Amino acid sequence: MTVLQACEIAGVDIPRFCYHSRLSIAGNCRMCLVEVEKSPKPVASCAMPALPGMKIKTDTPLAKKAREGVMEFLLMNHPLDCPICDQGGECDLQDQSMAFGSDRGRFTETKRSVVDKNLGPLVKTVMTRCIQCTRCVRFATEIAGVQDLGMLGRGSGEEIGTYVERLMTSELSGNVIDICPVGALTSKPFAFKARNWELKGTESIDVTDAVGSNIRIDSRGPEVMRILPRLNEDINEEWISDKTRFFYDGLKRQRLNDPMIRGPDGRFKAVSWRDALAVVAEVIHQVKPSEIVGVAGKLSDAESMMALKDFLNKMGSNNVWCEGNGPSPNADIRSGYIMNTSISGLEKADVFLLVGTQPRVEAAMVNARIRKTVRAAQAKVGYVGPATDLNYDHEHLGTGPQTLKEIADGRHPFSSTLINAKNPCIIVGAGVFERNDKDAIFSVVETIAESAKAVRPDWNGLNVLLLNAAQAAALDLGLVPESGNSIESSKFIYLMGADDVNLEKIPEDAFVVYQGHHGDRGVYRANIILPSSAFSEKEGTYVNTEGCAQTTVPAVPTVGDARDDWKIIRALSEVAGACLPYDSLTAIRSRMRTVAPNLLNTDERQPAIFSYSLKPESRQEMSTVPFGTAVENFYMTDSITRASKVMAQCSASLSKK
Amino acid sequence: MASSLLRLARRSRQAYPSFLTPLSRPFASDALVETKPGEIGMVSGIPEEHLRRRVLIYSPARTASQQGSGKVGKWKINFVSTQKWENPLMGWTSTGDPYAHVGDSALCFDSEEAAIEFAQRHGWDYRVKKRHTPLLKPKAYADNFRWKGPPDTKN
Repeated sequence: MTVLQACEIAGVDIPRFCYHSRLSIAGNCRMCLVEVEKSPKPVASCAMPALPGMKIKTDTPLAKKAREGVMEFLLMNHPLDCPICDQGGECDLQDQSMAFGSDRGRFTETKRSVVDKNLGPLVKTVMTRCIQCTRCVRFATEIAGVQDLGMLGRGSGEEIGTYVERLMTSELSGNVIDICPVGALTSKPFAFKARNWELKGTESIDVTDAVGSNIRIDSRGPEVMRILPRLNEDINEEWISDKTRFFYDGLKRQRLNDPMIRGPDGRFKAVSWRDALAVVAEVIHQVKPSEIVGVAGKLSDAESMMALKDFLNKMGSNNVWCEGNGPSPNADIRSGYIMNTSISGLEKADVFLLVGTQPRVEAAMVNARIRKTVRAAQAKVGYVGPATDLNYDHEHLGTGPQTLKEIADGRHPFSSTLINAKNPCIIVGAGVFERNDKDAIFSVVETIAESAKAVRPDWNGLNVLLLNAAQAAALDLGLVPESGNSIESSKFIYLMGADDVNLEKIPEDAFVVYQGHHGDRGVYRANIILPSSAFSEKEGTYVNTEGCAQTTVPAVPTVGDARDDWKIIRALSEVAGACLPYDSLTAIRSRMRTVAPNLLNTDERQPAIFSYSLKPESRQEMSTVPFGTAVENFYMTDSITRASKVMAQCSASLSKK
Repeated sequence: MASSLLRLARRSRQAYPSFLTPLSRPFASDALVETKPGEIGMVSGIPEEHLRRRVLIYSPARTASQQGSGKVGKWKINFVSTQKWENPLMGWTSTGDPYAHVGDSALCFDSEEAAIEFAQRHGWDYRVKKRHTPLLKPKAYADNFRWKGPPDTKN
């Protein structure tokens, strides 16, 4: 433990620039100088080990003078940019110069200037502001796993840059904006949009992937201005992916704000809620119950999925599912669809087997954990699936289920690595859910887990990595369709924000209701549009891939005449004469409690109780079709990110072909 | 508010040790009157619709872009107020909710219990969000030079 950490425990905050608790120690800014008794010189507390009997003085004239000297050198070449700097108001240098800065400078020469670098569409650089703390360099190499940034030159010619002109190609690159203690790296989409003291922070969660990263939505008036990460050691530590950080401009574009009906000419006409609901209620009574189908979208919250299921069940149909869960989801055994190891538990694993999953694009924060484990404990990673670029050392074992069979039979060299592992961890991608032979694949994976002793009382290493925020809650609530291909024979389809269902499979004469917040793929086929609120505007429960229920908190008002998803379904049920027995969030949650009580224990991971051993044996034949990629484009996965301009720029310039 | 009063009382006790201590007693004499939850809201003339508001008690996380810990550990009340619109004349933000800014700017508590008690006395329907604290992992400068296994062939 270092002196700085010891002081932190004692409740003394020591100023620092280069030290960051999640990065390696550099010790080059010298701002954390303290006085140590019997030491002739001030000591850099971030690098000095704390020793028994040490007497540390943090607030003596010596320490203060030493820091003032350091500050003077730092400010020597730092421009007086604060009034036009985006970091102004939340800048460590600004704050600390209040305590240790001088009111006049002794520097009379001209200030150094450095050419700005182009790091891509996300990170804006003003390199003259850089104080060479090297946090961004350490972040890129240690956490993001890209060797893009480095330190060039010496002395006053020292600068941060990419060695040759190139973009920063990491899915975590936005975090360098946060760790930069000055305004050298700032957010490009947020540049000059607002000052941080104008913003209202709302602590919410992210829904663009199944990780459920904790975020803070900063809004000004009715507008989301930016998204920042929030500390949660169990899920995202203090990082978020670029998608989470920058997709917010999609919340302002392509929004549906009025109920609309498609006329005979194929054009949408805005109508009142009363008329729209009356039309839907009329049509739903004209079709047979077996021809009613409901699909919940990727971003649906648990409350609205509960309401949708209850409503369609009341109408006599049981064909309700959530997209991404495949044609025949298995919701009986919870351990079969959540990450049983838990995200923070991945750090204890020593061998990983990734089956048909590319965590780097499917769940960037989970990938960062795996990388952390690989770096810290030299964990081995075996990967089965199409060739991909994971940012850590891995062994590409094969592309298809055949390789799994070899590992299960012990014919593959990797199977001995698995068997010798202390805490083996198998991660199956949710892309497998879409395969017809998923039961066979899961039973092979279970055989592998059994031979590697991956499921023990003290360790559960058999995981599924989900893709969407709604998936886990949908399976917890039992959104399982009666038949896998009900969509082909349907006459009435209720799409609740579902844009990635097989829209071409919907019959020509089917009546499609699209309830959602963005004009995306589903709208092209819809006959009627019911506008709903996005995750930043409503209170909803989401379960992440490790089975932790979290709630979003509304940050901004909804757009136009949109309403919360569950309220629309509740209103529709009344118009259709099948009134749902709840009309408040509390009431709908108590209904959820009867179905899936774990959804109400928010902020707490609910592990699955029963393991796969209770599952009936599958008699499915495994096909030889290789595993596919579940996420084609990391930056555009759902209706909000597809509407975002920044995400479009990212996928144009950063996505690897 | 409650916490600042408490702090004031505590400070006064430090400054004037013995003879002023009775001042730090609570204002209502609790020996005689028992305050019921929600009573304060009712007697202070707050409109009916604001008496049973749903509020969220939380402890704001450290700003991701700053390292200082001075503001960490405070508790706030969020009134989940989103009734805002842009004023068509001036472009300013208007709100129809009298509590819109109260939670952000005025209510700050030293502890979770103080925030809960405040919400109870006002009769708000509160929900408490768990506070997340960082894990402290001992670090050493010498780790930079530790043998970390064979070099990463990936990069």
